Amino acid sequence: MTRDEITQRLAELVAEASDGDIPAERARDAGVPLSVLGLTSLSRMRLIDAVESEFGVELDLGERDWTMLDDLGALADHLEHR
Amino acid sequence: MIVPFAGRSGGTGPLTWGQLAIWDAIERTAPDDHYFNFGRVLKVPGVRSLDETTAALAALLGTHDSLRTRLDLPADGGLPRQRLEEGGKLPVLLSTDDPEELLTRLCSTRFDYEDEWPLRVALVTDGPRVTHVVLVFCHLAADGLGADVAVRDLRMLLLRGAAAGRPAAASPLDLARWQAGPEGRRVARRAAAVWEAVPHQVMFDRDVPEADRADRPRVWRAQLSSPALGLAARAVAARHHTSTSTVLLTATAALVNRCTGKDRSVVLPIVHNRFRQDTARMVSMVSQEGVFVLDGADRGLDDLLAAAGSASLRAYRSAFHDPLDRARGDWVQPLCCFNDQRFAEPGPAPRTPREIRAALPATTLSWPLSQDRLNCRFCVHVGGDLEVSLTADTHFLPRRRMERFLLDLESLLVAEAGA
Repeated sequence: MTRDEITQRLAELVAEASDGDIPAERARDAGVPLSVLGLTSLSRMRLIDAVESEFGVELDLGERDWTMLDDLGALADHLEHR
Repeated sequence: MIVPFAGRSGGTGPLTWGQLAIWDAIERTAPDDHYFNFGRVLKVPGVRSLDETTAALAALLGTHDSLRTRLDLPADGGLPRQRLEEGGKLPVLLSTDDPEELLTRLCSTRFDYEDEWPLRVALVTDGPRVTHVVLVFCHLAADGLGADVAVRDLRMLLLRGAAAGRPAAASPLDLARWQAGPEGRRVARRAAAVWEAVPHQVMFDRDVPEADRADRPRVWRAQLSSPALGLAARAVAARHHTSTSTVLLTATAALVNRCTGKDRSVVLPIVHNRFRQDTARMVSMVSQEGVFVLDGADRGLDDLLAAAGSASLRAYRSAFHDPLDRARGDWVQPLCCFNDQRFAEPGPAPRTPREIRAALPATTLSWPLSQDRLNCRFCVHVGGDLEVSLTADTHFLPRRRMERFLLDLESLLVAEAGA
């Protein structure tokens, strides 16, 4: 997958995880952290589960990785270079 | 009266992780284990007769396997197993009493986990119609969110008739099988890694002087009802782009640190574990304790909330774990827990300091519960319209300090909100 495809898919997963509260276009294009878009902790855990099972990765939930988990672009970079 | 019911299947199997966890808590709290009983009152929609109501009730029990599941307790003291019955007969109380009083009454005695159905029901009647259904759940059969699913389904069954029953979500037997399989073990190992990184620590480990201990019983609950605390929590959550639940958990951890003087606050939040598709709609006991760790908990709340995001995620991940791994691994047990029982959390919302200050005089504190035994020393509950209670063992935290804790929680959040 190219980085754009990864970003697009992540944005769709955000929309699914938030039951549509954050539409995919907004997640992709807003340019602000997901928490600022209103991603709740329930949705965030759903998103992490979905990303891990779809991309076959295990995401570290340490304090250092928090910024990445809150930023779609950074998460896409991480998945592209894994 | 007796209501017969029938489901699709029966069977036996090991307990799920959630059932195992609550069973451990029940055993440690017995004979005061009625502490874990809880219930809901459903106002019956429209005008429904006794026959219509009992038909809906029977359909509810037929749909949700958890409500037809009891325990087999081996005589040698080994692990219990769950036993799902295909059908049975539920005793139902008919009454004209106040529904809330009936709820309290039905909650007040412990369940017979082997022989009694895990659901007690009273129907409040007014002439030929049923006005309220009072449901009391054994905690092995449901947690708060599971009970809410059952109540919503019962309401739909009453509105649309027995045929409206939705296809059942996964059953506790299915979930136990998944948990024991390769995917479940993978999830359990991931959770175990979070727990194993936390060193042993008991938060309240100093006996208080004899003179400070409460008269028997030794466990008391202080309950703070504070609209100001509610407004402040929402304001702080809005500023930090987080939930009021995370704000309250973080503030609790900070104050536990202040009370105990330890470098690290370890609190076990009860996590609903309904992040997954298969558990989202289950009527079952899925909630479990996770582990929430804040280092340097003497920092300002602002700083702590910045660290709380990832600490909460790790807590969520740790919560869906196998209690047998926990027992074998001798994981940290701080005897300090946090349980946000609100079904719908009021979201973050900016509030003016003036608004928050104006609400302060409405704060009240009461002592609604006391008993001899509990499996924990320090339990914060959040419920209703932002009521925060602290249930504690007075041998480790005397009543005046419990009261102080709750008022400090209010002050901390009100100050953080700038009021």
